Amino acid sequence: MNPVLTSALPDFPTLPSAPNPFVQLRRALASDALKLRRTAALRLTLLSGAFPVLLTFLILFFKGHVILKAGGTPWPKFIMMNWQTAGTLLLPLFVVLLTSLVINIETKATAWKHLYAQPVGRGAVFVSKLLVVLALNAVALLLFVALILGAGALLGVLRPKLGFQTYAVPFEALLWMLGRTYIATLGLLAVQYIVSLLWRSFVVPVGVGMGAVVATIALLSWEHADKIPYAAPLATAVSMRMSKAGVLEVSHELLKHEGYSLLWFAGALLVGYVLLYRRNITN
Amino acid sequence: MNPSSSALLATQGLYFNFGKRPILHDVNLLVEPGSIYGFLGPNGAGKSTTMRLLLGLLRPAAGSVQLFGHDLARHRVAALGRVGALIENPSLYDHLSGRENVEATRRLRGIAAHRTAEVLALVGLTDNAHRAAKEYSLGMRQRLGLAIALLSDPDLLLLDEPTNGLDPNGIIEMRELLRHLREEHGKTIVVSSHLINEIEKVATHVGVIQQGRLVFQGSLPDLQRLQTGRARLVLETEDADTCRNLLPRLLAGATLVGAGTLWLPWISKEQTAELAAALTSAGQPLYGLRLEQPSLEDTFLHLTEAKAELVR
Repeated sequence: MNPVLTSALPDFPTLPSAPNPFVQLRRALASDALKLRRTAALRLTLLSGAFPVLLTFLILFFKGHVILKAGGTPWPKFIMMNWQTAGTLLLPLFVVLLTSLVINIETKATAWKHLYAQPVGRGAVFVSKLLVVLALNAVALLLFVALILGAGALLGVLRPKLGFQTYAVPFEALLWMLGRTYIATLGLLAVQYIVSLLWRSFVVPVGVGMGAVVATIALLSWEHADKIPYAAPLATAVSMRMSKAGVLEVSHELLKHEGYSLLWFAGALLVGYVLLYRRNITN
Repeated sequence: MNPSSSALLATQGLYFNFGKRPILHDVNLLVEPGSIYGFLGPNGAGKSTTMRLLLGLLRPAAGSVQLFGHDLARHRVAALGRVGALIENPSLYDHLSGRENVEATRRLRGIAAHRTAEVLALVGLTDNAHRAAKEYSLGMRQRLGLAIALLSDPDLLLLDEPTNGLDPNGIIEMRELLRHLREEHGKTIVVSSHLINEIEKVATHVGVIQQGRLVFQGSLPDLQRLQTGRARLVLETEDADTCRNLLPRLLAGATLVGAGTLWLPWISKEQTAELAAALTSAGQPLYGLRLEQPSLEDTFLHLTEAKAELVR
């Protein structure tokens, strides 16, 4: 007999039991990871951090002697410049694009009907893609921090007068900023994730996301601005202070808007999942 | 014994609405193990909707689906483990190679790694497996979709218009493959199409759907039997209308199809002889008188044009 396919037996009283949810999730993740190959989502993740760091690097390379006070550590100012360039507009837009691109992998291939006809639950599909977006978001932030450190070290070599090589890197402040910024992106990430899944198009979530980011900027002076998930990365970026003595002051606990970001994250995912779970797959 | 208990796939009173628009009306499918079930109907009759209901992609407004004797709504994940499906156009990731496309589904289903090469070989894509799916021709995409559907060595294959976009050679290849899967491996296959010619050479059973209702279901011989009562006489003369007036009794049931052509239901040899004699004695020229057996295609067209009551 041909070994490629077995003969089906006409008796079918028992079905094999469904794989447990964790096995389903592991399989979905293995599949989703493969699908990232050669995608725009992956390229965006790897390159997004470079733009703000390159910009800041060039500013300090040419104008560092004017901008930085002579005789003090240049790191706090450099880190703040980087973070504010990235955090105000670029980071929210990055999250909007990343989420839409990851979901668009399936939409472009008209693969939702295929995906949901496989022996994995809708929950596994939902969680797996969410974990992919969360992981890519984390990778992008980590690369951003790594690039800041690299660019600072490079300035130490190319512009020794700025003093990057003589002063210590404020690692603790940097790590707190990294963690809190990540949390600040979660609210808008979840909202965008649900919007992408509900509309299954690329244009709608990107349009919604960009509109929301622009609207947020206009609403910054509103007393409830801290409750807007799209404002959270910006609020975290500008929460960084530099003391008179030149020390980077960074909150070692979650700020209010970061708490709201977590609430948005949980709320959007819960509501979104309920909406998506019983939905008919027509495309 | 309950007939549906021996069926591999059965639906009971399946209804589906799209918003307020009714799409399916009381569909009762019955697919026996080891059959190739040709699911026929014109475009828009509800074939794809039915296929999606069979996979749990859509939720029925009423009725239920039984796969392998188990309720789909309650055992969806377990039942789908034994089903391979190709719905409309194959879902392919253009940025991945053919092999990576198979791999994506293989990982998702947790199937042994050696299956990837096996199914690629089965559909004849081994040599092109390294190429990006976006470079594939329509026929290759269809075959890759089929390879993915066959990955899990499923007991039941659901193929929605698998010959869409294939050239005549591709259609013949697909037909050979389906026959091979059934005869050598005992697979049960449900294959939908809007063309009966594609199905009649390979199907063992046929279901015909029209405007969301199943208007025929049975074996292929059953369908062939249905058409024997529908043979007709084609009469060619100079002026058909005059003939009808001259011979009102013999030509009462005739339909005028051209200035000189009449169709009438065939009843017997004697009817044919009597008609020929009557025409000649009435002084009308008889250019031709022949018996036409409708093809399976005519029967299919007749079924899908007629209202549901006809075959009930």
